[in-house]
Amino acid sequence: MRIIGDTNIPFLSYRKIALSLSALAIVGGLAYQFLGPGLNLGIDFVGGTQVTLKFREQPDLGALRESISNLTVGTPLIQSFDEAEKHEILIRVENPEGAEGDFTRPILELLHQDFNSDLGNRFDLNTQGSLALLGRLVSADPDGMGGDAEARESFYGPMADAVLEYRKTNGIFGSLDDLENVEGLSETVRTYLENNTAVGAFSLLGAESVGPAVGADLQKKAMLAIGFSLVGMLVYIWIRFQLPYAVGAVVALFHDVLITLTAIAVTHREINLPTVAALLTLVGYSVNDTVVVFDRVRENLRLRRGEELESVMDLSINQTLSRTFITSGTTLVVVLSLFIFGGDVINTFAFVLLVGILVGTYSSIFVASPVALAMNRVLVSRRERRRLRGRR
Amino acid sequence: MDSKILWRVILILVVVALSVWSLYPPGEKIHYGLDLSGGIHLVLQVQTDDAIKAELDDSAQRLVSRAREQGLELSQGESNIENLSFKVNVPADADTTALRELAQNWVPGYGTDPGVGEWTFKLPPNMDRTVRDMAVRSSLETIWNRVDQFGVAEPVIQRQGMESDRILVQLPGVDDPARVKDLISSTAFLEFQEVVAGPAPDRQSLLTAIGGVTPSDSEIVTGDRRGLDGQVLGVDYYLLKKAAIISGQELRSARRSQDEYGQPVVNFATQPYAADKFGQYTGSHIGTRMAIVLDQKVISAPSIESRIPGDGRITGSFTIEEAEDLALKLRAGALPATITYLEERTVGPSLGRDSVVRGVRAAVSGLLIVMIFMLVYYRRSGLNANVALILNIMILLGAMAYFGATLTLPGIAGVILTIGMAVDANVLIFERIREELQVGKTVRAAIDTGFARAFGTILDANLTTMIAALFLFNFGTGPIKGFAVTLSIGILASVFTAVFVSRTLYMIALAGRERVESLSI
Repeated sequence: MRIIGDTNIPFLSYRKIALSLSALAIVGGLAYQFLGPGLNLGIDFVGGTQVTLKFREQPDLGALRESISNLTVGTPLIQSFDEAEKHEILIRVENPEGAEGDFTRPILELLHQDFNSDLGNRFDLNTQGSLALLGRLVSADPDGMGGDAEARESFYGPMADAVLEYRKTNGIFGSLDDLENVEGLSETVRTYLENNTAVGAFSLLGAESVGPAVGADLQKKAMLAIGFSLVGMLVYIWIRFQLPYAVGAVVALFHDVLITLTAIAVTHREINLPTVAALLTLVGYSVNDTVVVFDRVRENLRLRRGEELESVMDLSINQTLSRTFITSGTTLVVVLSLFIFGGDVINTFAFVLLVGILVGTYSSIFVASPVALAMNRVLVSRRERRRLRGRR
Repeated sequence: MDSKILWRVILILVVVALSVWSLYPPGEKIHYGLDLSGGIHLVLQVQTDDAIKAELDDSAQRLVSRAREQGLELSQGESNIENLSFKVNVPADADTTALRELAQNWVPGYGTDPGVGEWTFKLPPNMDRTVRDMAVRSSLETIWNRVDQFGVAEPVIQRQGMESDRILVQLPGVDDPARVKDLISSTAFLEFQEVVAGPAPDRQSLLTAIGGVTPSDSEIVTGDRRGLDGQVLGVDYYLLKKAAIISGQELRSARRSQDEYGQPVVNFATQPYAADKFGQYTGSHIGTRMAIVLDQKVISAPSIESRIPGDGRITGSFTIEEAEDLALKLRAGALPATITYLEERTVGPSLGRDSVVRGVRAAVSGLLIVMIFMLVYYRRSGLNANVALILNIMILLGAMAYFGATLTLPGIAGVILTIGMAVDANVLIFERIREELQVGKTVRAAIDTGFARAFGTILDANLTTMIAALFLFNFGTGPIKGFAVTLSIGILASVFTAVFVSRTLYMIALAGRERVESLSI
């Protein structure tokens, strides 16, 4: 089977249109980022606290906002996380200027006060851990084990673990009736738990808090990683090919990264550590694509001495076109399945790769080669001039 | 089968066998990162200024009390952390020679700057670095002890860099983050202090009771007033003697227990050398109150009913967990300085599990589509590529298990990406073979040139991706490092499977056939 047969498309003759389009996209993107709302930097880089909670039933977002309002600087971001019917809520707040500390605790304490006021002093199955539960069971001793504490601990230990296992699997206890579904409990323990514990309104899915020191650190590291890998690519291609090609490849890289950043900005996605990792992967992928074309150009230049570089480049792009489409296609398919099935945590990561692969494929054809060609002309004509000057 | 093919097959089988062996059983061998297993990642900063302050205050106190023994009436002035110095008020008629001698003996190495009515003593040079370093080290040790006693499997507790005041703590599988955080970071500095006055419901009435002024040897400390069920009802104010009767360091052991009413308490035993001191004090102060103060908060202030020899009990309307944790902290010791959080990442176990399920679903569906495509597009050669792809994933996972690499959520994405990129090498080769066939080469020749020509391209293309992965690894943290590792191993494995394994499969397919007319590609 064959999707793309022998083609003979004069890609490079479209270079003016293509480069103008790219330049327009980049300038427009930069304008949007700098003049518009800008890039949405996540707490990894600007610091802040983010708490993800699962509620038993959909909470009133206004009440949530009210609850933490006197704690926060600026407006807290409160939104649904993942599918709406899961009742998962993400709360993101700014930390007080320049302060380091434990900012997740006060948020959780406030929410506990406001949403779990009906619990009284009963043990909350949705926030406490298995060791705490074990402590309760050991001292209450509903099964009348007697004996020393250690013997009771080994008797009640598996039951406490089983209760927590249910929460780990399901995220939250919807009601005390869920205890019926916990396996391995003795009847007396089940009854004891039903009478002496309670289910709080929410459980903690995750919490992240980054202070200014670590935020600045991570920002620096991300910049360095991107900077160094761009330089690394430049040097590698310079060594393996020639300077014009290295410039072509790196210009294509900047092109890909800038346009992908614009896509992130336009969709209001957050830039966090995984986003940066995805950007770097995109850098690797984009160069990969470009190198395949350049490799072919180098080979064809050897085979067809005397032919114009432009037509050799066109030939090489056409020869590798089928491969370019298939590889981009297969990679796109897996990234698409990551984008669809990967869940909220990995969604932006997949989005960056998705955009990056499309843009990267385009740029390896319409940006890298034209720029390399132009650079080559500049260098060649300079060499010519020097030679002419020498003759005179 | 000729021997060349045999050797290749043996090498492949060995690599695959090694991968399977190091991978089996997968549940135990593949380490999940915190983002998949659930757990806490903390970066803590030891406030080493506290340790410097303590060092300066101790030195000042030592000097003042020794001077008093010799009849030299000094009083402690201010300690200055920025200048690393403390001040002592010296009466105008003091014997300066005697004071110099005292300083030499009791605060050796300190720089002395005599002034009018006030002398300044400066910490010996380089000593601040030692003091700070010791504070971080002993914090590290205390946190280790606490985590160890709490019973967390495979904790990571390490200093971030040799000279750093940061400590990294990673605790997988913790289901009660708030409690663990409290356990790690509370200073747990315990003192038994004499109650001079109180409890009073507010500061004003306490001050009125003692005549309006706080004596210089006493301090006002607050504590929660609790009901019988442990609920906080209000705040009590106490006036306490500053000098402690005994402190937490002088305890030998501490255990959670119950009193006769079933209330959780902490039983303790003092070190032998402190037992006499404690017994003497309690014996002579029967009927008065003694405050138990933890981190500048009064836990309880019971009356002394009888002489307490070496063993005692701390009561305080604790919940079971509070009593358990207090006992644990007392056993593990106090932190030498306060600790602040610079970074916290808590992942609940259910979120981690959800991520694994979703990641695997994405990987499997992506893999299936790619494999079906390869089969349809390249037919029997596609089958060849699919075998290579499966081996690639096995080797990737096997290598990760072998090196003890951690699988993170971005790492799963790395595996998925590897699937997409691994077939790239095969596509490069197959397209090349098709071209060579088109220009009229024989099947064998086309395969030979196809592999040879494509190899250079594959190398260049993959090395550039490796460069990106390398810098990611260098600058990344936690999950991102995991991604870089999977991506790098995946690239290496894909070069092996696409080039070496695929080639061998062709060799086997063509072996023993005189003339090969066509190739399914």
